[in-house]
Amino acid sequence: MIPAKKLLNTLTEHWGMLELLFKRFKMADFSLKDVQNAIKQKQPTWSNERIYKETNRLLNQDIIIPLAKSSQLEINRAIADFATFLLQEEHLGLAQEISVLVEDLARLGNRLANAGEIEDYDELRRFSRIMDDRVRKIMKLFAHNENAILNIVEQAKANNAVQSLQKRYKAVIEAFDEYIEPMLEMVDIRGDFHACFSTIEEQISTQIVHIERSGKAYQDKRMLEQLRTRILEMHLVGRESLRKSADMLMPLREELRRNNMITRQAAKVLGLIRKNGVDNMLSSVQPHFVSDAQRFSLGQQRHMVAYMAGLVEFEHSEYELPDQQDVPAYVTPNIPDYNNVKTSFKKRFNAKRKKPEPLLTFLGESYPELEADEMLFLYQKLVSDTDIEISQSDEKMRVKIAGQHFSLFPFNTKPVDPTHNQTGNE
Amino acid sequence: MTQINLHELTHLQAINKKLVTGYHISEQDTLMWQELDQHIEQYSALFSSLGHDLQHDSRGFYYFASDESTPNMGKISRAIALTVYILIEHYANTGKDPMRALFDEVNDLELMQTLVQMNKHLFDQLEIFSGSDLRKDVYLRMIRLGLAREVEGGFMLQAPVYRYIDALMEVNEETYLGEDE
Repeated sequence: MIPAKKLLNTLTEHWGMLELLFKRFKMADFSLKDVQNAIKQKQPTWSNERIYKETNRLLNQDIIIPLAKSSQLEINRAIADFATFLLQEEHLGLAQEISVLVEDLARLGNRLANAGEIEDYDELRRFSRIMDDRVRKIMKLFAHNENAILNIVEQAKANNAVQSLQKRYKAVIEAFDEYIEPMLEMVDIRGDFHACFSTIEEQISTQIVHIERSGKAYQDKRMLEQLRTRILEMHLVGRESLRKSADMLMPLREELRRNNMITRQAAKVLGLIRKNGVDNMLSSVQPHFVSDAQRFSLGQQRHMVAYMAGLVEFEHSEYELPDQQDVPAYVTPNIPDYNNVKTSFKKRFNAKRKKPEPLLTFLGESYPELEADEMLFLYQKLVSDTDIEISQSDEKMRVKIAGQHFSLFPFNTKPVDPTHNQTGNE
Repeated sequence: MTQINLHELTHLQAINKKLVTGYHISEQDTLMWQELDQHIEQYSALFSSLGHDLQHDSRGFYYFASDESTPNMGKISRAIALTVYILIEHYANTGKDPMRALFDEVNDLELMQTLVQMNKHLFDQLEIFSGSDLRKDVYLRMIRLGLAREVEGGFMLQAPVYRYIDALMEVNEETYLGEDE
């Protein structure tokens, strides 16, 4: 028998190393070398001799024990449990653990009722104690599982990009499917669990009433009352704990479900796109954006509608395109160069400026081969030329040029005393 | 009838300028977002009388809804959609949580190159042939539309990308086949 104090001292001294071993190997086995490495890591200044001595100490005190028929070692189970408790490294228990305990509780309840009936108070006390123990155990399991779920949730939420999605959420899904759901079913108000508790409660109440009536074993009444309270409390605590756990897990589960759905959908859509082409597949679903440019173009349906509405007023009229024969052949106008006209005009009138001479006469004499409109074109150019001094006559005249008659106030070359001319086409 | 007090809408000009170009105002555009958030009723009344449909998405962004795109915008939108879906697939394949990675990871040029290389025949259809094409044709446009922001070393997607995820969830074989007929 190793003195407890000695053991605790060793534990305190080597806690760092034990924690390391515990975390690294969980519940698996390890070699002597691993232990020595762990000590070295925690106490790098220690000599090899010292490490060897300390390892032996751990082995001697049964903190680390050799596995049967193997050179491998493991942490003493009792110490491991203690470490689990200290580190809150709790692993989720199974729903069955609790349901087995509850079934046991029901069995004990029956035994207790029987003992009460035959007034065997020793037995009554014994069963009451065992039941009390079971109830405590169940409560402990509830608390334990709640912590375990908290750990799972925290791990899943930790932003650990290295860990794969699958792995991160595996624990969540398992916790939900294997613990929360069966447990919720169990504590459901219509479930067996509830019925079982009602029976036990009834049985205990009957015993209490019986004891009150008979007056025998009065000191046991208090114990039974405590047991009844504890069972009720357990039921309540269990429900609370489950609700809390479910609340913690639910959002993660939803998130995972949604993520899985999106991933699956993305893979599916990309598959369809690969098969059918990008434009074919995405045109119908892509989100649309307002763009500034489209407000000024006929790009949008509503623009088209507005445009079509405008077209309602439109009346179609026949327009005949001209035939080739209808187009008259193009004739180059044979108007002489204006500059030449002007020069010859100046030449002629500079010398003798005795009396006004009508411009048209000059044109008619100089260019008899011109058409009437061509003649008028030259006339108009000469009239509007500021270089030439001309005047407009006051009286209307009838002139014949190139076979056409015009009546106008003709412009004349300027004589010494000005006469006024005026133009006016037919 | 909502009273619209133009003096209260201090950022109207900036907001309008952004929204009419298809920009999504999300929480990262702090000033405009807060302004919109505070006077949402006035703004939506004002914009709807101007013929716009101001939408507020509860995932934290505002935009003008439109039921049609110009052909050019349509093409851009398809390229963005393809990129987002390929990103989701890529993250899922590399074992990341796609939804988290989509918004938390920086998209750098290396990632863009990888995406284009691995989905060459898809990007080819959109005339995107390299990582820098993807950057130019998709990511820079996403910035213009407020779907992403530029950070050191690359781009980060923003909440409005959810529009594409919604669109993704809408796709199913039936809609596609139904259209074919």
